[in-house]
Formats: sequence, structure tokens, C-alpha cells
Amino acid sequence: MNATTINAPRTSFMRKLAWDPLIWLILGIVILGSLTSPYYLTLQNFDTLMRSMAVIGLLALGVTVVLLTGRIDLSVAAIMIFSVILAVVLTNAVGEALGLRWLVKGSTFVGSSWIFVALTILIGGLAGLVNGIGVAWLKVSSFIMTLVMLTALRGGNFILSSGRPYYLQTPAIDWIGTATIFGVPFSFWVFLAVLVFLAWLIGATTFGRRIYAVGGNEKAAAYAGLKTDRYVLIAFVISGLCSAIAGVIFTARLRSVDAPLASGYELTAIAIAVIGGTALSGGIGSPWRTLLGAMAFAGGLNLLSIWGIGTWYQNLAVGLALLVAVGLSPASRQKIRL
Amino acid sequence: MIRQKLTQKVLDLPKTDLARVGVLIALLLLGAVLSPGYLSVGNMRIILLSVAGIGIVAYGMTLVVISGEIDLSVAGIAVLSGMVGAALLPSGSAVLVISATLATGICVGFINGILTSVIGIPSLITTLAMLGIARSLANILSGGQAAYPDAMPEYLWFGSGTLFGLATPIALLLIIGLCTIVLTQYSAFGRALYATGGNSRAAVLSGIPVKAVKITVFMISGFLAAMMGMLESARLSYINPAAFAGVELEVLAVTVLGGAALAGGSGSILGTLVAALIIGVVNNLLNQLGVSIYVQQVVTALVILAVVLPGLRSRIFAK
Repeated sequence: MNATTINAPRTSFMRKLAWDPLIWLILGIVILGSLTSPYYLTLQNFDTLMRSMAVIGLLALGVTVVLLTGRIDLSVAAIMIFSVILAVVLTNAVGEALGLRWLVKGSTFVGSSWIFVALTILIGGLAGLVNGIGVAWLKVSSFIMTLVMLTALRGGNFILSSGRPYYLQTPAIDWIGTATIFGVPFSFWVFLAVLVFLAWLIGATTFGRRIYAVGGNEKAAAYAGLKTDRYVLIAFVISGLCSAIAGVIFTARLRSVDAPLASGYELTAIAIAVIGGTALSGGIGSPWRTLLGAMAFAGGLNLLSIWGIGTWYQNLAVGLALLVAVGLSPASRQKIRL
Repeated sequence: MIRQKLTQKVLDLPKTDLARVGVLIALLLLGAVLSPGYLSVGNMRIILLSVAGIGIVAYGMTLVVISGEIDLSVAGIAVLSGMVGAALLPSGSAVLVISATLATGICVGFINGILTSVIGIPSLITTLAMLGIARSLANILSGGQAAYPDAMPEYLWFGSGTLFGLATPIALLLIIGLCTIVLTQYSAFGRALYATGGNSRAAVLSGIPVKAVKITVFMISGFLAAMMGMLESARLSYINPAAFAGVELEVLAVTVLGGAALAGGSGSILGTLVAALIIGVVNNLLNQLGVSIYVQQVVTALVILAVVLPGLRSRIFAK
């Protein structure tokens, strides 16, 4: 078996793109934005747009991989904040073990950025692993498992931080939050790197085809000899890792982390994946399509902000967009595994 | 044949509830050992008051889960209906405020039902989106400002009045419980409900109006969520658009702990009531031991996880 027998022929790619309603939606948003606000087509706005897209895009990529296996992940936003907070606490503990004061003025973190970033990503992966073990091995429904994870980690965030924010003030974290390379924010490069890696992993490897197989028809995949549990487990780990990476760039930009941050982002992440065409029933979707979903979504929210429409209306728009996207997607309107 | 089996299933349920009652009694005894005066009437009243709201919503959730769906929007419904009522407070008419509050709950439940059963959006997504939508609407409607129903004794009665000699929330918990037990176990609707959740296709083929059943349970769930919102707001005399964060998981925990399977077709109101009491006793114990609310949140999450682990569940609550 080689990849071309399964993937669509390349010649039709541009043609498919031209017929894609999402492309037109994105174009429409850009045209509408540039017509209604002189601020829209400025470099500064695109900078803002790319930064916000990087965070929700990373979460949506993780959710996409999990959705492809026919599961759902509601814990991405909680993992994102939890991994950062726990990493601050643990890095501080490492500092104390070395006899260094890495937490000054009570809650300002000035320790080793490398240990912090490595621990954040490790914790994200481990949280994903716990989700994966619960869903794949213990057979808890993914929706319950990740909802439990969401609640437990949100509670954990408050316990670990005592409800106060941690300020992150090291040169490296500052750099991650503010640097641009060729005019593009570093965080956006990170998002693109993860996107390209996942697109390759899902679209061009045996592993990816098996993820689709598990999501498309799990029983058939199992009868064909796939260890389906393993692929589900790995999908959750990937999602956890994506969340942690998103956590690093999100908090680096804010230079602080606070327990209730990013609540409700799980809804945005799922909405982006679904708008990008990922089916809730599994087996349909791709990271590239999620990129388009993220562009449309971040673009839409950016436009609402520029028009001065408040957060409440934006949340309303997120909910409505999710309903419309799922309502219009025939593959998602089937009964999904609860 | 099917009817006989269904009836048997419905009648068998109280037996499985015995295990839960055992757990509840054990916890109460533990409390009595750990803290003197635990079993006093005053403390029992505190426990019942603390779970009345959750229990009432959990009845609705149980009905929705039996039908094979899920309702994550209860917190959103509670705040939105509360703020609709709050917007009408200046009218001074208690009948208007209370009926508008409850009607809003029923309306949102109806929309959930239509989106789920007619349009075919999975209820997980419908109600998750509705949670966000209802919360935003509550904020937009109220401008983010809380309201104080101090001047409306009829409204406050729901939180701090008495009914049949009991505090109103406790009386409502019992009365609504009794009504839903009758509805699920002794009515044609109850049989249609279990059939819908057990095997939707078979139910359709045997002439059960599956869509109507699902829309009805979402409406009941919306009504009870609005009722819970009103009880809690009245108790605090404070209608808050940011209230009830994360209450859906607590309600779901109670429902699943009560024996309802998320696959649909099984569950009992009595089990849910006992489960609500178990959660109430556990939280009350943790409170008395001085454990923080965030630790309680983590404990609730772990309890629900322990209950849904299939192996563990059949070991603890086997017939």
C-alpha cells in the first residue's frame, strides 16, 4: 500500500481549494474587515491575529487528532493552563533543591526557562497519557474522561496557585512571547511547525492511515489486526502535547499564568476542528483543514474585536458557529460515542 | 414480551439502589464517628439544603440520560432564566417573574430538543454550545450585573420559605422526585422513555414517537434547571449571571453515581436521589474536616471517574 492509493490525487488540490466554502468565508472576512476598518489591513493587526490563531490553532490541532479516532477531548484548555502552573511549581522545587530562589516576591518566576518549558510539555503529555489510559484501556467514554480531567485540573490549578497569578519574568519566556522571525511571531512559527509535523504524521504515514481506520470503523480496524487502543492512546498524548505547547506560547505572551485563564477554549477548539470539516463521528478531517478552520475562526473573532463587539457577544458567536458548523456537516450529524 | 421485560427492568431497579443506600448509611455512620452532632436534625437539614438544587437538576438529567442523550447546558439555562426573571423584577409581579423564569428554562430545553432530535446535532455538541450561548445571553441581558429580588417575598419563598413544614427546596426535592418516579416507572411515557434510550430504532419501529420523547425530556430538564437556578438565587437573595460554573459535572456525577448509563436505556430517579444525598454527605464531611472547595472539586471528579470505570462499577453496584 502506498499513500497515493488512499489520498486524493494531487491534481485536484487547487480545484478542491477553489470550491471550498471555507476559502470564500476567509476571503469574505478579509474583504469585510478591510472595507469596514482602516485598522484591519495593518501589520499590527495581522500580528495580533497570528498570535491568537497560534494558541487556539494548536488546541484545535490536538482536538482534531482525537476527533479523527472518533473520540472527543474536552480537557485541552484545562491541560494548557495546568501544565504551565504545575511546571512553575515543579521548576521552583528544582530551584530550591539546587539552593536557588526562583520564585521572588512571592509569585514572580525568574528560574530556568528551559526546565520550565521542558516540564510544561512533559506534563501536558502525561495529562494526555492519563486521558488516553482512561479511554483506551479502562474504557471510560472519552467525553466523561476528559470532562473529569477538565474539572480535576481546573480545581488543581486553584490548589497549586492558591488562586493567585504567577508572573513569568525570564528573558527566554519574554523572547518566546514577543519575538518575531521574518516579521512573523515566533508563536506562529511554532504553530506552523506543529501543523506541518501533524499533517505529515496523519497524512503521509502508516500511523496516520491507521488513525483514520480506527475512527472510520473501529471494529473493522480491530478485525484487520490493528491494536486500536494504542492509536487512541497516542492521539490523546498528541493532544496533551499540543495543549502544553499552546500553554507555553499563551502564557509567555501574557507573561503570567492564572488558574481561571482560557476557560471555555475547549469549545473554541472543537468548533475550529468541526468548521474545518473534521467529523465528530471520527475518520474524516485533516490538520490542513483545521488550519483553514482556525483562519476563519480567528479571523471572525478578530473582526468582532475590531468592530468593538464585547467578549459576551463573541462567546455567543462561538456557540452559534459551533451549532451551525455541526448542523451543516452531514458526517457530524450522526450519533457519536458517548 | 418486550413490554414485560421493560416492566421487569423498571421494577428491578430499586433493588440495585439498595447498594447505594448502604453506602449512604455507611457514610452517615462515618460522619457520626468523626464529628459529634453529625446526625443532628440541624446538620441533616444543611445536607438536604445543599443538595436540593443539584438533586432537582439531576432528576432532569437522569431523564435525558435514560433517553440516550446528555444535557450539559443546565448551568447556562439556570443563569439565563434567572436573568430573564431578574429583568422583570421591576414589574413587581411575582407571578410574572416566576413564570418567566421557568418558561425560559422550558424554551431553551425545547430548542435543545429540536436541535438534537430533529436537526440531528449530537446532544453533547448542542448542549455544550447552548451552555456558552445561554451564559453569553445572560450576561448580555443583565449587562453582567447581578440582581437582588429582596422586595419579592414570593420569589424568596422558593429559597427560604416552608412547604408542608419543610424548607421549600427540600420539599420540592421530594415532591418533584415523587412526580418523576411516577412518570418514569408508572406511566406510558416512562416506558416509551426507557425504550427510546434502550434501542432507539426498535422504539421507532414499534411506533414510539422517539423525537417527541427526546424533546419532552429536554424540556423537563430545562424546566428543572430553571427551578434550581431560582431556588439557589432565592436562597442567597442574589441572582448572579456568573453563577453555577461547572455545575453540569456535579449533576452528571450524581446521575451516573445514581446508576444511569450514558449509553441510555437505564437509570432510576430513586438512584439519583440517593446519589445526590451521598454527594451531599461527602461534601458536608469534607467541609467539616476543613477541606477547600477546590479539593472538593477534584474529589467530585475522582468519584465520578471511579463510578464510570466499568469494572469497578459492576463490583460495587452489582445486583
